[in-house]
This record gives sequence, C-alpha cells and structure tokens, in this order.
Amino acid sequence: MQADELELMILSTTALFVVVIGFIIYFVVLYRNRQLKHKQEQEALQSAFNQELLKTQIEIQEQTLTYISNEIHDNITQVLSFVKLNLGLVNSETETNKKKITESRDLVSQSINDLRNLSKSLSFEHINQLGLVKTIEIETDRINNSGLLNVTLKIDGEIYPLGEQCELVLFRIFQEALNNTLKYSKAKLFKINLQYSAELFNLTLEDDGIGFLTGPNVKSDGLGLRNMKNRAALIGADANIDSVPGKGCRIKVILNPLKLRLYADGAHQDRFS
Amino acid sequence: MNPINTIQYFYSIILLSLAIFGILIYKKLNTPFKILSISTVAAFLVNIAATLCVKRFHTNAPALHVEGLSLFIFYSLIYYYLFTNKIIKTIVITTVTIVSVFAVVNALILQPFLTVFPTNVNLPTFAILTILPLLLFRQMLLSPLKTPLLDQGAFWYNAAILFSSTTQFLIIGLSNYQARTHRFQAYLFYLWYVILFIFAALVALALFKAGKEKENYAS
Repeated sequence: MQADELELMILSTTALFVVVIGFIIYFVVLYRNRQLKHKQEQEALQSAFNQELLKTQIEIQEQTLTYISNEIHDNITQVLSFVKLNLGLVNSETETNKKKITESRDLVSQSINDLRNLSKSLSFEHINQLGLVKTIEIETDRINNSGLLNVTLKIDGEIYPLGEQCELVLFRIFQEALNNTLKYSKAKLFKINLQYSAELFNLTLEDDGIGFLTGPNVKSDGLGLRNMKNRAALIGADANIDSVPGKGCRIKVILNPLKLRLYADGAHQDRFS
Repeated sequence: MNPINTIQYFYSIILLSLAIFGILIYKKLNTPFKILSISTVAAFLVNIAATLCVKRFHTNAPALHVEGLSLFIFYSLIYYYLFTNKIIKTIVITTVTIVSVFAVVNALILQPFLTVFPTNVNLPTFAILTILPLLLFRQMLLSPLKTPLLDQGAFWYNAAILFSSTTQFLIIGLSNYQARTHRFQAYLFYLWYVILFIFAALVALALFKAGKEKENYAS
C-alpha cells in the first residue's frame, strides 16, 4: 500500500516537472519562431522604407534634370540662336572677318545642336516619347559625333515596350555607366547590347578601359555604382558589375518581364510617379 | 552530521554564494534584476532567521511569514518593471498592496505568526506568481527582442518563478497528506530541496544573463 502511494507521489511529481519543463521548451520554440517572423517583418519594413527613399531621390533627380533640360532648351539655346542671328547680320568687308563670322556661326549652330541633344537626353518626357532604344541611339550618335568615344549599339530580339518607368530607369543606368566610362575609364570603345526575349531583357554595357577591383571584400563601390544597383532593384532587375584592373568593365542589367510588368503597368505599390 | 543537516547547510551556502554573486554584479544590472539581487540577500537572511527561529521557538513559522511576504513583494516588483503594459503594472502594484495588508492581518489574527504557517497568504501568492510568468511569456511573444531567448535574464527569471510557484502547489498538497498520515517525510524533504536548488540555479542564471545583456524589457 505504502509502495503504491510512494509510486503515485513520484509519478505526480514527475508529471508536474515534465509539464512545466515541456511548457518552457514549447515556449522557447514558439519564441524563436516569433523572433524570426518579427525579424522578417522588420526587414520588410526596412526594405519598403529604402524603396520609398530611393523613389524620392529619383523623383527629385528627375525634377532637377527636367528643370535643367528646360533651361537649356528655353533659355540658353534661344540666346545662342539670337547670337547666331546677330552674327548673320554683321556686315564685314574683309574676307578674313567674313570667314571668322561664318566659322563662329557654325560653332554656335553646333553648340545649339549639342545643347538641344543634351536637353533631350535629360528630359523625362523626351525619353518617354521616343522609347529606350531610340533614345540610346540618339545618345550613341551624340557621343560618336563628339569623337570622345567609339560607341556601338547592338539589339537582339524583337523590341517590345518595357513601360515608361522601367525604360527611364534603364536609360539613367545607361547614362551613369556612359558618364563613368567617359570620366574615369580612359576607354576607347563602349559596347551597348540590348537583348529582348520573352523570358528576359538584358542591357549589357561594356568598355575596354582601365577597369577597377570589384567583389565582396572590395570597398570600391562608389555612389554611381551603388545608384545603378539601387535603380535596378527599384524596377525588379539585377545589376551585375564585373571589372578587373586593365580589362575594362561590364555592367549587365537583367530584368524578368514578369516582375517588370508589376512596375510598368503602374499598379505596383513601388511604382514611382 | 546527518544528511538532512548537510543539505540544509549546503543550501545556506548556495544562498550565500548567490547573494554574493548578486552583490558583485549589482552595478551591471538594471532595476528588476537589482531587485532580484536584493531578494537573494533577503532569502539568505530569512534562511538564517528560520534556523534561529527553530532554535528559539521550535518552529520556523515566524520566518516563513516574513519570507512569504517579502519575497512575494520582491518578485512582484521585478514583474512590475519587466511588464510594459500599464494596466498590468497597475494590477501588479494593487495586488502587492492588497496581499501585504492581508498578510499582516493574517499574521496577527488568522494565522498567528509565532505558531502557524502562513498558508492563507502562500496559496494566493503562489497563484499570482503562476499567472505573472504566463503574462510575461505572453508579452515576450508579442514583442520579441533581438537577443536570443536563452541569453535573456527575464526568461530565466520567469522560468524560475513559474517552476517554483507551480511546484509549490504540489508541495502544499503533499505536506497536507504528510501531516495527516505522517508518511513520506523524507521524500517531501528531498523534493522540497530539489525544487529549491533548481530555483536557485535558475535565479543564478537569470542574474548572470542579465549582467551581460544589452537590451531587455525594462530598458
């Protein structure tokens, strides 16, 4: 009898210990799950915040570029046209002066053209009107005419519209890359390749310049390179930047059309106006 | 020296070590764990007082009256600082006030402190100290910290209180049975000390982790 009671006591004690310890273990597991979920929520919030910040930055940048573009178009080119007109009205009897005036008029005309082209490449509306391919073609011609760099453009596949926002972002990435090449790379050749396929759209920009170190352990990602990656992320694309010192630089922007549509149709919450 | 005395002395040494440890890391702790550190000193002093009471009055009931109330106040105050919800904080403070008044009345009238154990106070305090850890666990689940759970002092403290208070009901039940039948006294004694040692270990762990942590619910 006493042995049975002792057994019951031990059993009840053990049962209680097991229940309490089991509860604590269950809580530990539950807490870890909650912690993970909480972390994911925090990361999602942070990511949304970063996206908003990036959108705002790009909007401000676009506004500034549009303002500059309008100023060039409406003010500076007008003044230059007036100068050109005045030069045409100047009467000169000596051949040397006439020649100088004609040269000056040509130079002013060239400046007006260059400024108009620059104004167009800066203008958001102009890019939207012409589309990505045409705008890149104009830009390519402009750089080739300047003689600063030999730019080649290759288009693979059937061209389809990517949507206003996406094309603008892609064009800005292209501009950033071209600008970097002109400023730092000492390159002679700049290759542009646009690949259109049903599954993927690729924009590849390649130069034969001095290159630079890249990789996870290298802190060489300047603001421009980071901007390219951030801009690409904004339209759901990946921007890969490969470069080796002495072997040029290659920037590849890969866009999934399925993701792209979310941004292009304007219905996606991350679309910027 | 018989095994029972050995265990009691050993437990006193454990309490003294815990109190010294609490004092040593006192400055590193934040408010709730500072209170926990003070409570370890109080627990040691009450333990000494209990031994003296047995020698003087042949019962440790007076020490248990003091211990029951003082530790309840300490532990509840720790919860007061750990909780973030203002309503729960108010409930904790109100409960502490009511229980304190009742404990004094109980010690003077209902269960005279020189002769009778304060079961009238212990039962509700154990019940409250079972509910408070569950509420804190809930709060922890609703707003988890970045710190891993096992590195949080609050978790170990909460586990200590939950373990201690739930097992107290078993101890009380078994004590009643033992009082009627005069059986299994040794079993009850050993079980009681096993619980006390586990509780002391969990409190030590809580103090140790709290001394290291950078974020917690009280900060």
